[in-house]
This record gives sequence, C-alpha cells and structure tokens, in this order.
Amino acid sequence: MNKDAYAVALRNALTEIKNICPDVSRSFIFGKDRQIVSGDSETDEETMEKMISSFQSVAEKADTIGSLKAFYVNGKEGKVILSDVNDMYLALAASENADTTYLHSITRVIIVTVLKLLETITSTPTPPIPPQSAPSKQLVVDTLSGFFVGDSVQIDTELLEEWARFLRESVSEVEVEAFGGEATLCKVKEINDSKLKGKGMIRIPEKICKTLEVKKGELVTVKPAST
Amino acid sequence: MSAKNKSKDDIEVLQEKLQSIKGREEIIGYILRGPNSASIDLKDPTRIVDYAILSATAFEEGQNISAMFEIGEVDSIITEGEDTKIMSMVVNDHCLSIFMEKNVDHDKLCKNLNLT
Repeated sequence: MNKDAYAVALRNALTEIKNICPDVSRSFIFGKDRQIVSGDSETDEETMEKMISSFQSVAEKADTIGSLKAFYVNGKEGKVILSDVNDMYLALAASENADTTYLHSITRVIIVTVLKLLETITSTPTPPIPPQSAPSKQLVVDTLSGFFVGDSVQIDTELLEEWARFLRESVSEVEVEAFGGEATLCKVKEINDSKLKGKGMIRIPEKICKTLEVKKGELVTVKPAST
Repeated sequence: MSAKNKSKDDIEVLQEKLQSIKGREEIIGYILRGPNSASIDLKDPTRIVDYAILSATAFEEGQNISAMFEIGEVDSIITEGEDTKIMSMVVNDHCLSIFMEKNVDHDKLCKNLNLT
C-alpha cells in the first residue's frame, strides 16, 4: 500500500475520532522519525511542525524516565494530549472538560485497529495472476504425404492470426495432442491449399500421424506451443 | 498580612506537605523552584540534574504548546515515561514538579496537596 493510501486511512480514522468525541478540536499523527503521517484539515502544517519540535525537546530529555510515552498539557481553556500509539505519536487538542481517559481508550482502539489492518493488508502478498493460455482448438486431421511434405503441420491462417493476437507474438510451433494421449510439438505453417482453408482442418505429415497414432478424419487438439 | 508574606506562608505550607508525601513508596521526589531559590528532594540524588533539566523543559514546552493551540494559562503538565511520570504546575510563582510512579493517581495527589 502506498504512503498516500496509508495517510488517507489514518486521516479517516482521525475524522471518526472527532465524530465520536466532539471535544476533540484538532488531531494529527507523526512517526518516530518526526515526520507527519496524517492530520485533520483544521491543523496547519506549521503548527504540526512546531508541536513535533516541542515534543522532540521533551523526548530528548526523557530518557531519565524511560523514554517519553505521553505528554499532557492542561490549560484553563483546553488541553493537548500527546501519546505513543503503536510506534507513532498521536496529538490531540480538546476542550478543557474532555475526559482524557475516555479519549485515550477511544483513540487507542481506533488507531491501533487501523494500523493493524494496514499492516495486514500490506503484508499479505497479492496472489500472482496466472498467465492466460491461448485457447486450444479441435481440428480434423488431413494427412500430408510425399517426399517434400517436411515436418510442419498446416492450419488455417485465421487461427494462426487469432493466436498471434492473443499471445502478441507470431506462432511458429504448435502442440498437437491426440485423443489417445499422445502429443508432439511441430512447426506450423498456413494451409496452402485454398480448397482446404476455413474447414477447421489440420494437415499433418504422415510420419507425425504415425507418431500420434491418428488417421485422416480424426480429431486432434491443437494449441500454440508453451501455453 | 501582605500578599508577599501570605505567598511565602503558602509555599512553606506546601513544602511541609511535600515533605509529608515524599516518604511514600510511590513518590520519587520533587523539585520546587522559585524566583530566588529551589528545593530539591529526590530519593536518587544522582538524578538531580537529569530531572531538573526534564522538569524545566516540560514547563517551557508546555507553555509553547499552550500558545500554539490557544488553550489558555497552563494548569498542569504531565510527562509520562515507561514507569515514571512527572506532574508539573505553577504554584504561587513557583514551578513545582513532583516525580512519581506511573500508577499514582496524580489528580488525587493534587487534591491532597491542595493544589487544585
């Protein structure tokens, strides 16, 4: 999850805290590295930076009490609460009558829950999308015989083009599988006999037919090689 | 009685009360800093300097934060660490910081010391 989504999620959490606790007037979160993570719209960045600077001044001297966990400033017209929440710091400004204990409980539940949820989402690996394979076709066998037939099979141009568009590359080899289970890889060309085009046929040299144990007129399954 | 004398009496009363609580197990000590003098009483004297610096910083930054967020005159500042916390407040122009264990009810302590 990118940083922006993280900040948006926490900003929403801060908004919900203000909805639940109307005594809260301002809030923001910053990290242990003193960088602002997220804040409400009422608190300008300058104020946040000053607050972080004040916090840092106290935190630097707080080793003597075992590091700074919380800092409360209670004024006649309000209060500011700064507390450690899951390796971050939450700053809240609230009215003088705000129940600090209640605020503590609510903020900890909401912020910790959101942070744990964000951790779970970012740590769960996205399952890889399996590569799509080109659809196989069942074609009728026609045998090729003679000295010059070579070892390439022949199929319709349209099918080769369809596979090429799917794979975004030209198809030079196909896998031919008979119903008996035998399969073989063959070079492939376009059907050159115009009378046989568009009839869903595959023209296979006789020696390959023997390998596959298929005869003319039988069905075989054909698909581009390595799909 | 002049206001000055009354204030002096109040501070003396406060010091007596602070002396009465410092013997409690959960109270680590206190620093009471006035315009012309300071009283420091800590169970661990080796930490006087560290605690004094922390106390002064807490006061200073508490004032800064109060101005930032416009929350008015500061009544008290609570600084919490792992197991220790400090309650800081101004009493008759004196800066008082009481160091205590984290589980102490500092509001109740304030009432006992007539600081509220």
